[in-house]
Amino acid sequence: MRKNLRRALAIGLVSTMTMGTVVGCSSNKGDDNGGTQANAENVQNKKEYNGIDVSEHVDLTMYLLGEKTPDFDEVYGEINKILEEKLNATVNVEFLSWGEHDTKYSLLFSSEEKFDLIFTASNWAHYEETVSLGGFQELTEDFIKQYAPGIWDAVPEVAWSQAKIDGKVYMVPNYQTEFDQDILAVRGDLLEKYNMDGISSWEELKEFYYKVAENEDGIYASNEGPWYRYFQSQGYSVTGGTPRGGELFLYNTQDPDDLEFQYILDWDGFTEYCKEAKKMADAGCWSPDVLNSTDERQVPFLNGKSATMTWNIGSCRTYAKEANAANPDWKATLVDPIEENTKKVKPYTGNGVAINVNSENKERAMMVLNEFYSNPDVYDLSMLGIEGKHWEAVGEDQYKELDESGFGVDQNCNWGWKNDNINRKEVIENPTTVDEEYEAMDKLWRENIKEEHPYDGFNFDATKVTTQVAAVEAAVGTYYNPLINGLVDDVDSSIEQLKKALENAGINQILDELNRQAEEYIAQR
Amino acid sequence: MKKNKKATFGKKLRKNRVFLLMLLPAVLYTLVFSYYPMTGIVLAFKKYSYTGGIWGSPWNGFDNFKFFFQSGQAGLVTKNTVLYNIMFILVGTFFQIAVAILLTEIRNKTFRKTAQSLMFLPYFISWVIVGVIAFNVLSADYGFLNRVIEAFGGKPISFYTTPKVWPFILLFFNIWKGIGYGSVMYLAAIMGIDTSIYEAAAIDGANVFQRIFKITVPLIMPTTIILLLLSVGGIFKGNFDMFYNLVGSNGLLYNYTDVIDTLTFRALISSKDFGMAAAMGLYQSVLCFITVILVNKLVGKYDKDYTLF
Repeated sequence: MRKNLRRALAIGLVSTMTMGTVVGCSSNKGDDNGGTQANAENVQNKKEYNGIDVSEHVDLTMYLLGEKTPDFDEVYGEINKILEEKLNATVNVEFLSWGEHDTKYSLLFSSEEKFDLIFTASNWAHYEETVSLGGFQELTEDFIKQYAPGIWDAVPEVAWSQAKIDGKVYMVPNYQTEFDQDILAVRGDLLEKYNMDGISSWEELKEFYYKVAENEDGIYASNEGPWYRYFQSQGYSVTGGTPRGGELFLYNTQDPDDLEFQYILDWDGFTEYCKEAKKMADAGCWSPDVLNSTDERQVPFLNGKSATMTWNIGSCRTYAKEANAANPDWKATLVDPIEENTKKVKPYTGNGVAINVNSENKERAMMVLNEFYSNPDVYDLSMLGIEGKHWEAVGEDQYKELDESGFGVDQNCNWGWKNDNINRKEVIENPTTVDEEYEAMDKLWRENIKEEHPYDGFNFDATKVTTQVAAVEAAVGTYYNPLINGLVDDVDSSIEQLKKALENAGINQILDELNRQAEEYIAQR
Repeated sequence: MKKNKKATFGKKLRKNRVFLLMLLPAVLYTLVFSYYPMTGIVLAFKKYSYTGGIWGSPWNGFDNFKFFFQSGQAGLVTKNTVLYNIMFILVGTFFQIAVAILLTEIRNKTFRKTAQSLMFLPYFISWVIVGVIAFNVLSADYGFLNRVIEAFGGKPISFYTTPKVWPFILLFFNIWKGIGYGSVMYLAAIMGIDTSIYEAAAIDGANVFQRIFKITVPLIMPTTIILLLLSVGGIFKGNFDMFYNLVGSNGLLYNYTDVIDTLTFRALISSKDFGMAAAMGLYQSVLCFITVILVNKLVGKYDKDYTLF
C-alpha cells in the first residue's frame, strides 16, 4: 500500500514537472509568435529614420563610467520610449564604476563582448590604448554623415581632427567649451593680510606661496608643485598622446607659427622651474609628503591645511563656496594665475563615445547616439533627468534645479554627448560672490579664446614605439615626480640623471617619430 | 603477456575506483586552473590586439621583453625583488617560529588565545588600509611617530623623503601582517610532537631552553624546510599590493623600494599592452622555476627526505 502511495506520488510529481516544462515551452512559443507578429506589423508600417530603414527592432547596450543613480532607470525608461518610437531601438545602460573601470574596460574588449556603445576619452578614459589594440569601430565621414547628421552638424572640424589617430576617427567627441587651464581657489583673508588683491601672474603666485610658508603656522601654501602653472604661464601646453600625459614634450600653444616641440629636459625653463620648486619646497610651501598623500585635492583646502586649491574653474567654484559656507571669515575667492594669456580650449576628445568593433548593430548605435547628441528631448532627459521632478525649464535654454538627489546633474557620465548648442544653463538664485566671480571669469575667458595652434588638434600615435614608450614610463618616475615637487637634493644632477635614463630608454626615437607624425599632420592640413 | 598486463591495469582501476574518483576533482581542478591557463604564455611572444585575440594576434618574438631591459631599471628591480623576498622569508620565518614556540609555552589559556587572535588580525586588513595607516603613522606633518619623537624633544624625521629607512619599514609591515597567519603552520607542527618526549626530557632535568632547542626546533625542521622551499618558489615575484600601497608614486624611494611588479605596473598602466605584461610574468616565472629546482637540489644534497620532489 505504502509502496503504491509512494509510486503515485512520484508519478504525480513527474507529471507536474513535465506539464510545467510543456507549459513553459508553450508560453515561450507564444512569446515568439508575439514577436513575429510585432515584426510583421513593423514591416507593414515601415519605419524610417533620416531615410534609413529601421523596421527591425534592436536592443542596444551602452557602457558608461560611474555609479548608477537611484532614478536612473526611470529616466532611461523615458528615453527608451522616445528611441523606441523614433528608431525602433532601446538602449540598456551598464556601468563600470570609477574604481574598477581601469581594469574592467579592457576586459570588455578582450572577452569579445557584443555591446554597442561605450564612453571613452583621450588620456583619462582608455581612448588611445583601445584604438591601438583594435577595440573601436572606425567612424568614416560617410558613416557619420549618413547615420548621424545631427552630430556631423554640431561637432566642429577641429574636434574630429583631435579624435584622429593615424588619420582615422574612432570616437564621437563631445562638443563643449572647457578650458585647459586650472585656476586657484584662495583664502581671501590671507590675501588681505599680505596686501595682495589677487594672484594674476607667476610672480604673484610665488610671492603668495613664500609669504604663506614664512608666516603661517600649520597651513601650507599649496598641495603640489605648481609645474603646470609655470609652463602654462610661459605659453606652453602638453602634447596629446605622448608619454607621461604629454608632459615631456611641450609646444608653444600661444604662438601658432612655432611648430617646434620642446623636450623639457633640453629646456632651460624646466631647470629654472625645478630650482624654484626646490626653493619653495625647502621653504615649506607644501608638505614633504606630497608624493604619498592620497587626499583628494579639495580636502586640505576645506580642512584649512592649505591656503590654495588648484583645479578647473568649475570645481574651484564648488569648493570655494563650500569653504565659505563653513568658514565665512575665510573669504575664499577665485583667481586666475595666468591672467595675461589668451585661453586654450580643452581638446573636445576629453569626453566622447565610441562604437565597439564587435557590435552587431553599429548603424543603429550611431543613430541612437545621434538622438542623444542632438535631440533636445533625449538630451535634456539624459543630462538633467525628468522635467518637473529633477529640474524645471527657465526659458528656452536655461533650467532651475528642483531635486538633484535622484539623478544628479553631471553625475552619470553623460558628458560623452555634451553639446553646447542645446545644453541648458543653470539659473542660480541668490548668487554668492564666488558665483559672481565665476560668471565674470567665464565670460572673460570666452571672449579671450586663443587663436588655434596646429598642434591643438594633433594626437601622437604610439603604436610604432611601444617599447620605447613603456621603457620611458618605467624610467621617468624615479626623478620626474620628485623634481617637479622640488624634493630632490641636487636639481642639476637629478636632471642630468633623468636625461640619461630617458635617453637610454629611447626618448630620442619617440621624439623622431613625433616629429615625423607632426610633419605629416601639418602637410595634410 | 601483454593481455595480462592490460588486465591488471583494468583490475587496478576497478579496485581503486573509489579513490580515483575522489582524486578526480583535484586533478581536474589543477588541469583547468593551473595547466590550461599556462597556454597563455604564448601572449608573451605576440603583439596582442583585441581583433586577433590570444591565438590570432601576430607573433613578435622577444620584442615584448625589450622595454624592461631598455628602461635601465631591470637590474635594480630584479635585485630589489630578490633581496626583499630573501629578507622577508628569513626574518619572517624566524619570527613565526619564535611566536609559535612562545605561544605553546604560555600556560594561561585565555591569554594565549587572545594573543594569538590579536596577532592574527592584521592578516585580514587589506594593504590599501595598511598604506593609509602607515601614512598616518609616518607622515611628517601629522604622523603619530613624529609627534612621539617631538614629545621626547627629538627632531621629526621626514620618512617619505628618506629612502634608506624604507627596507626596515617594509620589513616591519610585512612581518606584522604575516606573523599570525604564518605561525599557525608551526603551531600545528609543534602540537604534533609526541608529548612523551618532553616528559622524558623533564625527568632528565632539561630546562625550558634545552627543551626548545634540543626537541622543538629539530622536530619542526622538516616543516620549516618545506615551507621555506615553497616560499622560494615566489622569490622573483614582488608583493605588488604591499609595495604599491606603501610607496605609491613616490619616485624618491624607488631606488630602495622598486620591485619588478611595480615597475611593470608603471610602465604599462597607460598603454595596457597585454603582451608586455605577459612577458614580465613569464620572466619572473622562469627565474622562480630555476631557483626552485636549484634550491631543491641543494636541499637534497643535505638530506633527501627534505626535498619537495
